[in-house]
Amino acid sequence: MAVTHDVPPQLDELVSTAHRIRQAIESVIEGKSDAVRLTLTVLLAEGHLLIEDVPGVGKTMLAKALARSIDCPVRRVQFTPDLLPSDITGVSAYNQQTREFEFKPGPVFANIVVGDEINRASPKTQSALLECMEEHQVTVDGRTYPLDAPFMVIATQNPIEMEGTYPLPEAQRDRFTARVAMGYPEPHAELEMLDVHGGTSPLDKLQPVATTAEVRALIEAVRGVYVSQAVKKYAIDLVVATRHSPDLRLGASPRSTLQLVRAARAHAALTGRDYVIPDDLQDLAIPVLAHRLLPSVEAQGQRRLPEQVVTDLIRRVPVPETRAS
Amino acid sequence: MRLTIASGVASFTAAILLYPLFQGGTWFWTSLGAVLAVVAAGLISSRLSLPAWAAPLLGLAATWVYLTVAFAAGKAWAVVIPTKSSVLELARLLGTGWDDIQRFAAPVPETRGITLLTAGGVAVIAIAVDLLAARVRRAALAGLPLLALATVPATILAEPISWPAFIVAALGFVSLLISDGRERVGHWGRAVLVRRTRSATSPSPSRSAPGGARAAADTRGLRLSGKRIGFAAILLAVLLPAALPAMEPVSFFTFGVGGRGSGPGNSISIANPIASLKGQLDLPERRVVLTYTNNDDTPRYLRIYALDTFDGQQFGMTQPKGAPQNRTENGPLPPPPGLGRDPQITNVVTSVQISDDLARLRFLPLPYPPRQIRVDGDWRADVDTLMVFSTREEAAGIEYEVLTSEPKPTASLLESLDGAQPNTDPRFLRLPENLPPEIAQLADEVTAGAGTTYEAAVKLQEFFTRTGGFTYSLRTQGHGNSALRDFLLRDRTGYCEQFAASMAVLARLVGIPSRVAIGYTGGVKMGDRWEVGTNDSHSWPELYFEGVGWLPFEPTPSGAAGQGSARVPEYTQPRPETTEESTSPTPGATSSSADEPQDPSARRNPREVDREGTVLPGELPPDDSMPLIAQIGIGAAALLLVLLIPAGVRMVTRNRRVRSLGFKVAQPADELTARMASSRSHTSVAAAWAELDDVLYDYGMARGASETPRALARRLTQQYEFDAGSAAAITNIASAVERVLFARDAGRIEPMRKDLRKVRQALAATTSRGRRVRAVLLPPSTLRRLRLLGERLLDGFDLLENIGLRRTAAQKGS
Repeated sequence: MAVTHDVPPQLDELVSTAHRIRQAIESVIEGKSDAVRLTLTVLLAEGHLLIEDVPGVGKTMLAKALARSIDCPVRRVQFTPDLLPSDITGVSAYNQQTREFEFKPGPVFANIVVGDEINRASPKTQSALLECMEEHQVTVDGRTYPLDAPFMVIATQNPIEMEGTYPLPEAQRDRFTARVAMGYPEPHAELEMLDVHGGTSPLDKLQPVATTAEVRALIEAVRGVYVSQAVKKYAIDLVVATRHSPDLRLGASPRSTLQLVRAARAHAALTGRDYVIPDDLQDLAIPVLAHRLLPSVEAQGQRRLPEQVVTDLIRRVPVPETRAS
Repeated sequence: MRLTIASGVASFTAAILLYPLFQGGTWFWTSLGAVLAVVAAGLISSRLSLPAWAAPLLGLAATWVYLTVAFAAGKAWAVVIPTKSSVLELARLLGTGWDDIQRFAAPVPETRGITLLTAGGVAVIAIAVDLLAARVRRAALAGLPLLALATVPATILAEPISWPAFIVAALGFVSLLISDGRERVGHWGRAVLVRRTRSATSPSPSRSAPGGARAAADTRGLRLSGKRIGFAAILLAVLLPAALPAMEPVSFFTFGVGGRGSGPGNSISIANPIASLKGQLDLPERRVVLTYTNNDDTPRYLRIYALDTFDGQQFGMTQPKGAPQNRTENGPLPPPPGLGRDPQITNVVTSVQISDDLARLRFLPLPYPPRQIRVDGDWRADVDTLMVFSTREEAAGIEYEVLTSEPKPTASLLESLDGAQPNTDPRFLRLPENLPPEIAQLADEVTAGAGTTYEAAVKLQEFFTRTGGFTYSLRTQGHGNSALRDFLLRDRTGYCEQFAASMAVLARLVGIPSRVAIGYTGGVKMGDRWEVGTNDSHSWPELYFEGVGWLPFEPTPSGAAGQGSARVPEYTQPRPETTEESTSPTPGATSSSADEPQDPSARRNPREVDREGTVLPGELPPDDSMPLIAQIGIGAAALLLVLLIPAGVRMVTRNRRVRSLGFKVAQPADELTARMASSRSHTSVAAAWAELDDVLYDYGMARGASETPRALARRLTQQYEFDAGSAAAITNIASAVERVLFARDAGRIEPMRKDLRKVRQALAATTSRGRRVRAVLLPPSTLRRLRLLGERLLDGFDLLENIGLRRTAAQKGS
């Protein structure tokens, strides 16, 4: 009687690999399985992740744990107010021996780039990331250098009310597939953290559990997840709803629709499903859409956060209900 | 501004309802002018922002000027300015108009006076409407004066107002309401949320409009709703009464049929019978009213009305009561009152053909006493008087057959009956207290020496026809108290009405129950039919004798010097031995069965009619009437059936779905059968999902629009604490639905009948019994489907409306 609910063979490997990575990360970050799961989702959706929270909750730890558990080049950039764009992308330096300008690649030339406290840098520097995030390439002195796949930027930022921060411009925020808040750990998780982190850093013990090639294969598998017309329509409905909501000054962009569906694919694949269901979109709508939205003055006056607006929209937009033929 | 004009339009459209009261069209144009004058005054008041109390005064002034111009221009100064003589002229016209209205019956001829009264009345109504709608801003209240105007024709005329006129008047009022709404909302600003939005996501029309271009209030949506409601209300008001069964006057609800005042609807209007009688006799030329044949070829009086009450002035009629069981189509009529078993009975069948020209007669002319009538339509008999009437039909042009059972008492029988107390309603003996004592004295004198009531009656008739020295003349006027005294004691000149009424009064004075019959004499023979004309209109007294019932008497002189075709009944001849049937046929006599032995039919149940083969050519329809209880029962059953329609629909839907759930999954042999099986499994999943949706809706746990199958399963499991089996079942369904809807390949799907049943049982266990019963008897899911249908219909209307709007917008743009 039970409905067959087997994982399709092409996703078998994906599920197990993803599981390994998750376990590796969770050995470092306790009690944050949602954030970890979202991080993986974004990785498989070829997106970038923005981790926003107050200092000291493990933002950097999450980013580094992910980077460690995959055997791939990882670079870390500490954003400061005096950081220059060339510090990120790289510079052309004159080589005395060859008497030519030679490109010295910056830290973005890696598979995973951890941008710590990204909103401490000036907007000029922040925008140096624009091209590489979207187009996976760097243009310096008129020459374009492609980046390796997979390429993922994991940026952490402090809430913009904090001192010494430059808020990310809308265009920059739009390039992040999802934003996740860590939140304070549960008391028991904090206790465990004290025990584990008391002596040595567990990060040091973390061994890579997946290779770049494996991750690339995973990404390829995610691309094959089926999205029915009904679900695509539902994604569009959700995004369009943000554009017409009276509570929002700025709705979500078409790019966000694309990223929402991509993330939903990864989300479905992580549960071993080879098709997307509206639940995937509902689960991802807040992390994928909320950070791109600007509340209207009225909503600000009522202290309505974009997250709440999106929650309302999810409740209002009807799910696709095409009658099965 | 707009309200003033709308008020004028509403007043004028309501005034159109007056059309059946007039013969011509002058009143229409004059009233239109009056309304225009009031509207003009209203516009001036609005423009000058006069206080609310001043506007009606200005309106009255404008009306005065207008009426002066229209009716007394010659007497006014410079045609326009009212002068003393113009005022006097108007007053004189009003007076004559008032007199004319008293004199004429509708439709009235359009004298100047009547036109003036009409225009003035319409103007007053228009002023009141303008005051309420445009000044006090109570547009709904303005319906009251309009209603008052509309009730004028309804109370005067028997016919209902024609529906096109009603629609026009209603549209006028609706337009007044709509413009009031527009005006009101226009002051607020933009109307919010009046237009139905398809979903929360669709852009609102104002957003997509070029920003800020529309400064004025957007009341289109409001107008649309208003129009919809108004039109729907008018449509219902016109159609619903037609669809409803008419109210049946039921005797145990103790409302009889209609009053003399007569209004529209189910009551009957009785033009003053005496006045119409005189009118018919006065006609210069004879017109044929009806023709008839009967099986013994004997003329008979045809009675229409029986007047039973005497108020000192004239005889009048108590409202007849037509109980549904006394319909002519229900078989024999009630038995004739007072008819015992002794007198011989003659059964006669009379076929009557009424002329088309007979206006507004709602009673059938019938020989007395009718026992059974074959006639089309809803005709009913009054139990006391056996008058046959209808609240809906008119007698003009119809044909009918009537079977009468005529008592043929002999004088000796009538004499022998004396002493039996008359068992009748006391109203047949009632006399006013202020009856002049001379009349009572006269009655005593005339009947002096009479041994029995029958003898007294014969003496009374003789007094009028022979010994009293009365003469017949149509010249006499009046029938009042003094007229009665004058007729009896002084000039002794009159026509049938005076004779009949006087004899009835005298009979009552000596203790014989009496009433005055109005109808026609037997007429004259033309070819093989008897022809009754307007000059055969007649009135005669009917006297009551216990054991025989009501017997006609004939006090009016007959022959050339009297009522031409009047005939004296046989039993009132002074000497019963000298039967002179051949020379003087009488209404009570028939030659065919006069000498027959005792009629056996007289011994039967009085309600049962003796059907002699020779008398009745064919069987009259059998009694197929239905008892009232059965009618109520059938009505209730029909109502119940109608109420059970949603339940039936639900059951049919469920059965259809369950059938499609129970498909058998065979191992697919090739690709084609596999695809077919998969499409069938899809149908099954869709059926299960739709059924689950309906079950949830019926139990009041409806699925939200944004609830996915998975979320629904989760919610139900948690909220209603499903056990493992039910939880697995709902998860199964949800997962199947999910795969069918969203997966590339749904894969293998098991039949879900059992799962569905399990879920339904689990859900039913959590709901109250009342809810479950309601879900079966009046399933909300079916009602929801109906509502969706209605919404789709409205969407269609919206579409039409939008097309119109877009076109106008395009025109504005170009």
